[in-house]
Amino acid sequence: MNANVEVLRVENIVKRFVTARETVTAVHHVSFTVAQGEVLAIIGPSGCGKSTLFNVIGGLVKGDEGSVAVEGRTMSGPDPAIGMVFQEESTFPWRTVADNVAFPLELAGLAKKERIERVHHYLQLVGLKGFERHHPAQLSGGMRQRVAIARTLAFAPKVLLMDEPFAALDEQTRLLLGDKVLQIQQELAQTTLLITHSIAEAVQLSDRVLVMTYRPGRVKSIVDIKLPRPRTAEIIGSKEFGQYVAEIWNDLRDEASLGMKDAEAHLPKAD
Amino acid sequence: MKLNLLRLAILGSILLFWEAVAASGLLFRDVVPSLLKIASALGHLGVNADFYHNLSATAGEVGISLAIGGSIGVVAGLLLGGSRLLGKSFEPYIHYLGPTPKIIFFPVMIMWFGIGPGSKIAMGAISCFFPVALITAAGMRQIDQVLIRVGRSFRASTWQMVTKIYFPAMRHPMLNGLRLGFGVSVIGVLLAETKLSNRGLGFLVMQSYSQFDMPGMYALLLVVFALAILVNAIISRLGGLAVSEI
Amino acid sequence: MTTRPLAEAKWLPATLGLGGIAVALLLAELAIRMEWLSRFIVPLPSDVLMSFERIILEEDVLSRFLATAGEALAAALLVSFVGVALGALLHGNRLLRRACESWVAGLAAAPLVLLYPLFLVIFGRNALTIVMIGFVSGLPPAILKTVEGLSGTRKVLLDVGRSFSLSPSQLFWKIRFPSALPVIFVGVRLGLMFSLINIVGVEFLINFGGLGQLVNELAERYDLAAMYAAICFVILVSICFFIASEKLERWLVS
Repeated sequence: MNANVEVLRVENIVKRFVTARETVTAVHHVSFTVAQGEVLAIIGPSGCGKSTLFNVIGGLVKGDEGSVAVEGRTMSGPDPAIGMVFQEESTFPWRTVADNVAFPLELAGLAKKERIERVHHYLQLVGLKGFERHHPAQLSGGMRQRVAIARTLAFAPKVLLMDEPFAALDEQTRLLLGDKVLQIQQELAQTTLLITHSIAEAVQLSDRVLVMTYRPGRVKSIVDIKLPRPRTAEIIGSKEFGQYVAEIWNDLRDEASLGMKDAEAHLPKAD
Repeated sequence: MKLNLLRLAILGSILLFWEAVAASGLLFRDVVPSLLKIASALGHLGVNADFYHNLSATAGEVGISLAIGGSIGVVAGLLLGGSRLLGKSFEPYIHYLGPTPKIIFFPVMIMWFGIGPGSKIAMGAISCFFPVALITAAGMRQIDQVLIRVGRSFRASTWQMVTKIYFPAMRHPMLNGLRLGFGVSVIGVLLAETKLSNRGLGFLVMQSYSQFDMPGMYALLLVVFALAILVNAIISRLGGLAVSEI
Repeated sequence: MTTRPLAEAKWLPATLGLGGIAVALLLAELAIRMEWLSRFIVPLPSDVLMSFERIILEEDVLSRFLATAGEALAAALLVSFVGVALGALLHGNRLLRRACESWVAGLAAAPLVLLYPLFLVIFGRNALTIVMIGFVSGLPPAILKTVEGLSGTRKVLLDVGRSFSLSPSQLFWKIRFPSALPVIFVGVRLGLMFSLINIVGVEFLINFGGLGQLVNELAERYDLAAMYAAICFVILVSICFFIASEKLERWLVS
């Protein structure tokens, strides 16, 4: 990791939603940078605009203010420099595993031979060698998410942008897959932006954790995670890990309870 | 084993009952003709060049009407399903025009396209436009949104979105649309042929009616039903295979 | 993005839809008046509009409507009772169901309305032929949906019934049947739609009975404007029937 080379710069992002009744500010002046090979986790309570931020940085939704730049180049809309991994089940059910990973390469018009080589490489990387001819429905949820990750990585993005990639999985699969992602990230020195609501996941995987406030989503604090690298899943048992989790929970608790109160206030009450 | 026995028994008793009625002469002469007569009429059809000539005429009309009505239906469905405004503005009309008797447009179609195959093709095309358009529009809206976001995140062009995401994601509803479209376009074409034409299976049915050739009519109807059910099963099978492939 | 708030507005789609139709009609009117289109093929939309009064007053539309409605009602009753009874029979006997369900599904795919020349021979050129065509063409969906509905009863509901030691017939009437009713109604409604379509169609084809015959007669008289108006009238009646049955279904299901 070279903390001096800045790859992703997110500046002053503002996103509002206009409905008939009111204007809701989902993201309010959010700025940060991510260095080469660094993993930045963004954590916040439900409703803090994490997913909105994901869509704006990925270029799927236009922000009202602010800019996103990769290696000094300002993004306008989806760009190959940023690869997105979605929270939902996103593999194509009609394509085999290999064809799913080949999808972005096909779009770019790569020759078949090179496609096959790259697909092979990335499937090996995510540990799905031997499943090339399977269809997603024949795989477990964790394997499908690995296919989605390989598909995004096959495009060799400068920045890997992931929106709660483990949300649809059960606890144990989540831990194992987190470990796998950590291993891949370290192998590729992949600059990564991880959006999550799990404190443990954020601490386990990242170098810095950015805590967001509840609506409107602002940067509340940034916590440096000075755990040794390369890391493995064993890190979860360490004393430092527990301290970081406690520290972030301390920052997050007030925001989360604000969100909960807000949700309760909007429930219909019995007369 | 037991199942097939039961099926045989049911079929056998229906046929026996039929034959008994035919032999008893209770019903009007030849309304229920003997099975032998129907079988010989079927055999006669099988070796009759005229039958194949008319069969191919009807098949051609159905095929062309499916191509025209189906492709217009797919394009309309893509537009209606792709744009919320267009869908909200025009889909209700198609939804409510769908289950109306299309055959009453036949006199109009005769005026527009003549009394030849043109008006029959038009009837088939009108009939199959509606289910195809509605199913395509609904299929478009049912596409998992995250798949569309994946395509956009990789900067797929509009053409790439349509060919690599929309169509493959919609293959089941589109096959179903084809199946329903085929069913109604057969009805449209055949009914038009029974009303006014000088060729096609519908024409043959009316010919046997006017000549009071009841065994011939039964044979024709059996063949038409069998063919329609067969094509329907083939299209369903195509869809079924696509499902099990996954 | 910008069309989203626009599409939320209620007036816009309605205006666009109706406006689109109005513009199309105006263009047709213009094209005919400019003689780009022959008025012997397409009558002036304004003439068609004027003919509505004429067909309502001169062609005895009300009694024709009642004739068609009567045929549809008779077919509806037959479809409902016979279809649901046959469906219950198939559902009640596993072996019978496995033997015959695919046959019924096959019949649903066959163009049954083509039986009308046969029915003409059997029943003669009268209302019975039309009712029987309506009945036969509406039967398969009613049977299939009844079987589907009765088999779809949640197991826990049946267990509840068994825990109260209901007899098999009580189990059917108090639990299976009511829980299947929404699905059965979907089937009956589908069947009725096929019935109505084919009833009007056969009226037109054999030139007998109600609204379908009206279209045929006007076509034979070459009264273009009135024929277009009659077609519009038939379409309107079908749409009203369709909307009413949709509303009824929503009301029953909720």
